[in-house]
Amino acid sequence: MNDTISTPPAVRTEDLWKVYPQEPEPVEAVKSLDLIVEPGDFVAMAGPSGSGKTTVLNLLGGLTRPTRGRIWIDGEEVSDMRDRDLARLRLERIGFVFQAYNLLPVLTALENAEFTLLLRGTPAEERHRRVMDLFREMGLDGLEDRRPGRLSGGQQQRVAVARAVAGDPALVLADEPTANLDTATSAALLDVMERLNRERGTTFVFSTHDPRVMERARRLIHLVDGEIESDVRRDAGAVAP
Amino acid sequence: MSDDPVWRRIAWRNLGRHRGRTLITASALAFGYLAAVLMVGLMDGMNAELIENGTGLMVGQVQVHAADYLPERNMHRTIGGYEGIDLAGFLRRLESDPDIVAAAPRLYGGGLVSSGDQTLGGVLFGVDVRREGEVTTLLSTLREGRAPRAGAFEVAMGSEMARQLDVKVGDQVVLVAAAADGSMGNDLFTLAGVFSTGTPALDASHVLVPLPDLQYLLAMDPGRVHEVALTTTRPWDTPVIAASVERSLSAFGPPLRVRPWTELRPELAESVELMGSMNWVIIVIVFAMAIFGVANTMIIGTFERRKEFAVVRALGTTPLGVGKTVVYEGIFLGVLALAAGAVVTGPVLVWWHNRPPDLSGIVGGFAWSGSMWRPILRVEYSWDTPIVAAVALFVTSVLAAVYPAWKATRVPPADALAD
Ligand SMILES: Nc1ncnc2c1ncn2[C@@H]1O[C@H](COP(=O)(O)OP(=O)(O)OP(=O)(O)O)[C@@H](O)[C@H]1O
Ligand SMILES: [Mg+2]
Repeated sequence: MNDTISTPPAVRTEDLWKVYPQEPEPVEAVKSLDLIVEPGDFVAMAGPSGSGKTTVLNLLGGLTRPTRGRIWIDGEEVSDMRDRDLARLRLERIGFVFQAYNLLPVLTALENAEFTLLLRGTPAEERHRRVMDLFREMGLDGLEDRRPGRLSGGQQQRVAVARAVAGDPALVLADEPTANLDTATSAALLDVMERLNRERGTTFVFSTHDPRVMERARRLIHLVDGEIESDVRRDAGAVAP
Repeated sequence: MSDDPVWRRIAWRNLGRHRGRTLITASALAFGYLAAVLMVGLMDGMNAELIENGTGLMVGQVQVHAADYLPERNMHRTIGGYEGIDLAGFLRRLESDPDIVAAAPRLYGGGLVSSGDQTLGGVLFGVDVRREGEVTTLLSTLREGRAPRAGAFEVAMGSEMARQLDVKVGDQVVLVAAAADGSMGNDLFTLAGVFSTGTPALDASHVLVPLPDLQYLLAMDPGRVHEVALTTTRPWDTPVIAASVERSLSAFGPPLRVRPWTELRPELAESVELMGSMNWVIIVIVFAMAIFGVANTMIIGTFERRKEFAVVRALGTTPLGVGKTVVYEGIFLGVLALAAGAVVTGPVLVWWHNRPPDLSGIVGGFAWSGSMWRPILRVEYSWDTPIVAAVALFVTSVLAAVYPAWKATRVPPADALAD
């Protein structure tokens, strides 16, 4: 049904619903969401607490199943995929960045960044080269052998971003990636993400509460009560230094 | 699979994450290993005692007969038939088997023993006195006098028989027996010793006669014996040894049967077997206890890491991968515990084997299954127990990981984004 010859959208949803069966009445966390994210975009999702940001990211990443509606990632329909295939899709095409960094504490920074490549069975040499390149780009060189416990929050989150993009995913989903970071570190992380977006064309969709972070997005979606309240392109602002 | 090294690495490092906890769990398993191996060793030791006491007095561990000798015990059916054998050569041949420690030839005759106007029926038990001492303890039960000397027409008899005949050491007795040539053999013998085995049937009926003298009395050639009793290196393995001895003798000529004590004393064999099955019970109980402790620790460990499982699932791990890392953790824990267990168990086993505590002073001996049992806590080694216990330990640690692993695979990936 996709009749365009060019690359498919990184994300596309159609009448997407997520209803949590809850007492006394079910929670409609996402209501009839129609969304298209073009490859290479840099999208922020804002909205009050409980507006459905995390739920949308969960749905796009195949971490929860929609109650209704359809999702395509990189042109492939995921809404009816089996768990195994979803896992594979996440491994190969989606990167995740979490608010609480969520690096594996028993692995070094380098091993954490390599994680998805390790799972994919990428040869050691290539793994190493890719991650070392990223570390240099992101100012992480010298920290390769540190365990997360001996890294600052900002460093950990940069390692997490490296982990998310190391496998060249079609899409990186980040849930409030800067919420645990101070202003300066947030700005630095945004710099890194922006650069990866610009230089590698990695698509980012991230949620945030922070107006300073929203400013850096090229497209800003406002969610309220599980619905899109506004969807603004602000390319000019994002490109400015 | 290609991702296995990652999961192994994570599993190994996770063990290092809570060193104290890992140490305690591994120690519990190692202690379980020690306990299982020691307890089974003790049971094996008791078994060895049972066997020794039940076979040591008369039966011996293995007996060689002409194939048609038992059960009738026809006196003509000697080893090698009427011709007999080159006895010295035959014994040498038997003793050349590395599993055979000693061999003692025997000849049986039924007859009458008289002194004055007293006459009793008895079993004339012809033995090579020196060799018999290497196979059974009968001669060590001599209470008065000494062992009879060959060629001197001396005998030893049971204490009850001596009492009934009213004879003492130095007295003369007449032995009368049906000889192999159909005549009646009778000769005068001197009572050299009186034995008291504690087994009434033996003490009332057996007359110990040096082999050549009995052969002479029964008009049999020196190459004729009914039985050769053997002592082996491994009393609990006698069925195997007997079978191999029988095989090695198959080229010997006249058909022979080689029977282990398990066939000669089936009731004893049964109680030994019963104790053998206890070994399994011990191992199962010890490790069944361990499994809950280990599983409990692992459940706690995996519960603490729920978020990590959710994260790796979100990053694209299959549930199988998550389960694998937990199972690997169980495997590594098992390996650690086994190493520790082996290091501790080895020396304890050697020490206990060589210096078994003797509780005779406290408990005293008692009869069990027709034989005397000494309360010596002796520990036997065997190869299979440490291996079986090692397998059990390993299975335990892996099984203990199965439930936590399954729980880990159930962690929903969406939990990664929850705080
Ligand atoms: N697993 C769940 N079960 C039941 N209700 C849920 C679940 N997850 C989210 N919800 C509900 O769905 C709605 C949307 O939640 P969601 O976490 O997506 O909001 P959010 O925009 O991420 O909020 P925040 O800014 O606080 O992170 C909320 O009302 C929330 O209570
Ligand atoms: Mg949220």
